[in-house]
Amino acid sequence: MTASTETDRPGVGEQASVRPAMSRKAEELDRTWYSPSGFFGWFTQVNHRMIGKRFIITSFIFFLMAGIESLLLRTQLAVPENSFLTPDHFNQLFTMHGSTMMFFFAVPMMEGLGIYVVPLMIGTRDMAFPRLNAFGYYVYLIAGVTLYAAGFLGHAPDGGWFAYVPLTLTQYSPGLGLDFWATMITFIEISALVAAVELIVTIFKQRAPGMSLNRMPLFVWAMLVTMFMIVFAMPPLMVGSVMLALDRTVSTHFFMTSGGGEPLLWQHLFWFFGHPEVYIILVPALGVISSIVVTFARRPIFGYTAMVLSVVAIGFVAFGLWVHHMFTTGLPTLGVSFFTAASVMIAVPSGVQIFCWIATLWGAKLRFATPLLFVLGFFFIFVLGGLTGVMVASVPFDTQVHDTYFLVAHFHYVLIGGAVFPVFGAIYYWFPKVFGCMLNETAGKWSFVLMFVGFNMSFFPMHQLGLQGMPRRVYTYLSESGWFELSLLATIGAYVFALGVLVTAVDALLSFLRKPDAPDNPWGGDTLEWATSSPPPNYNFEDIPVVRGRWALWERGEEPAGTVVGLRSGRREVLVTTLLDAEPHAVAILPGPTIWPFLSAVAVAAGFLGFIRHPIWFPIGLLLTFVGFVGWLWPRAVGGSAEEEQAR
Amino acid sequence: MHIHPLERRWIYVVLAVIGIFLLAIFYTAIARNIHPPSHIETIDSASLHLSEEFAEDKLGVWTQPDGTIKVTLVAARYGFYPREIQLPAGTQVTFRIASADVLHGIHIPMTNMGTMVVPGYVSEITTTFPKPGEYPMLCNEYCGLGHDHMWSKVTVVAKESWPAAPNAQPVRR
Repeated sequence: MTASTETDRPGVGEQASVRPAMSRKAEELDRTWYSPSGFFGWFTQVNHRMIGKRFIITSFIFFLMAGIESLLLRTQLAVPENSFLTPDHFNQLFTMHGSTMMFFFAVPMMEGLGIYVVPLMIGTRDMAFPRLNAFGYYVYLIAGVTLYAAGFLGHAPDGGWFAYVPLTLTQYSPGLGLDFWATMITFIEISALVAAVELIVTIFKQRAPGMSLNRMPLFVWAMLVTMFMIVFAMPPLMVGSVMLALDRTVSTHFFMTSGGGEPLLWQHLFWFFGHPEVYIILVPALGVISSIVVTFARRPIFGYTAMVLSVVAIGFVAFGLWVHHMFTTGLPTLGVSFFTAASVMIAVPSGVQIFCWIATLWGAKLRFATPLLFVLGFFFIFVLGGLTGVMVASVPFDTQVHDTYFLVAHFHYVLIGGAVFPVFGAIYYWFPKVFGCMLNETAGKWSFVLMFVGFNMSFFPMHQLGLQGMPRRVYTYLSESGWFELSLLATIGAYVFALGVLVTAVDALLSFLRKPDAPDNPWGGDTLEWATSSPPPNYNFEDIPVVRGRWALWERGEEPAGTVVGLRSGRREVLVTTLLDAEPHAVAILPGPTIWPFLSAVAVAAGFLGFIRHPIWFPIGLLLTFVGFVGWLWPRAVGGSAEEEQAR
Repeated sequence: MHIHPLERRWIYVVLAVIGIFLLAIFYTAIARNIHPPSHIETIDSASLHLSEEFAEDKLGVWTQPDGTIKVTLVAARYGFYPREIQLPAGTQVTFRIASADVLHGIHIPMTNMGTMVVPGYVSEITTTFPKPGEYPMLCNEYCGLGHDHMWSKVTVVAKESWPAAPNAQPVRR
């Protein structure tokens, strides 16, 4: 296709039987959507697959770091009155373990999966705001690296990942550790919000023609709900962490009791974020599971509408639960009853999901590949975590196990079961698509067995420890307490689990170094990402596909599905479709590679980090960021003649 | 702007529902003077030693006029004061606890004794110990470096062998 034939509006046409210009088109597309390489090129890439891959790899590295921290913690707790770590290190390690898992692993991992997979699944060439995407990644990277660098330089935070005031105020926690924590948490929220805006717009406006909302894959639905949750959940924490940073750096009195502040305000702000956060991590995992279940059961999901509605319901109800973290603060009974009701209620849509999956799997010819094994592991673990969740939703029970190891067991069942197992399933499922080669099935099965056994060995005994009264976050315990045997078992389990993770990590590393040889659709999946090569070309799809049903690839059948014609190959054009029915609507021209998102992220970081030392850095950071944004938004030539530009 | 008539009708329905809810809230709050139940007791954490109830010599176990028992405790890094208390089994005990510094928690395993001790507030919780024995009283909210050894002992003895606690003086609030 050449530019001269490009005057008609983009529309839908039947697939041409003969396309002589195909390879030329592919070549031109490849040139247009080219990502620069090399050291400097790395900082200018904006392609969604590059950014998504970086999110996934970086967050996986943080996952390994937090995992090593948890092993150190478990080693300390293996025997009573142990002095493997100092109390100081212990407190820093559990703070970093929690913060890393929640902020630097779970959320970015889900964002990375969304950023990588969603545009492929909805059949577009890139995301709506590619530069913003890159900006989000650099902000995340800087936040994570800074927090760890500060930790290694002796400024590790030690207030717990929840950072309850007034312990975390300067009076009780002098030093820079918590300043870094509060600032970097604010910082990483920016990254999450950026990804949320990005994905919402992309999902709403860039779906392939014919993919109306009620035909969207469940993974995309889950991502959409998650991103809306981020939009509403992250700002309260941002407000909270900024207030905490202000209390610490310029001595405001938001939380200091003696200055008229309110310590419970922090808890409300934190958990108003913190509880939806749990579902922000869980909901994308539900989407992953729906994808895997459909593919490996080789049949459409049972109850698509129920699945979508229950995901949306989870998204709503998740915002009505936060006070169940505060049942023992002495809130009025009427108030806590509401939150008990909501906490029990959320089990209903979660149950709908589980039953729909079981109905899909029931009687299907299952293919027991590694991704499905991780999903089956998820069923077992997550349902157990859900059951203890309903237990602790009841106030009288909660007051007896509040902040004991019972809670530790409960939320690890929910989070490892609800997020880590699906994420590992997703790694095995999408690895061939992302890197072009299959992961080793034998290694995958070993990894699953080790992780499943190790996990249960580690966390199941904690229920009992909690009922016996062992409190959380204690550095050590006395031998008379009777907690020794179960603690030792938990520690052994943690090492077995870590071994399972190691198997996958090594396997992924080895496969990463291999030559790409995976077929386009190794699992026989139904969604559009399997319609392109593995790994996908720079431009994702040579022809933007047209979708005729919910199970895009399965419904193609003999009748050739249409493709989109009229998109120019010579510049970064993507098709914009209508929100509900995904009818072709307009063409958007996306910006190309640039260094400015990186420089802007550095400028924002300079402002945030400098503020720890002196408030003057706030205006300096603002100014630098302004310069960065001007460079970012500087008008550019988009290719094509001036008349054509006006015609659009 | 064009709005589908059906959509418009539903917008009116939603607005009406919201209106009814708001009216109900305002009516109950203003006309009937009904408010959510709350019982907030605040206290200045920095000057507990000067307070009527939590001064050092006022801490400990007190017998109330109605025969029940009141225990006043201060939670401070890293201990509960007084360090050891003795209580009778099968009697209603009301704990009143204040924090002198940061957020603490109080938890006696295998009982329903569990509450947060938020600085600036008085935490009150009532319980009955059915069986004599030694109960550990643990801090379950992370409170810093010495969190793991912030615990003290509650000795519960049979009602008959319990040396009666002094009577509580009436406390002015």
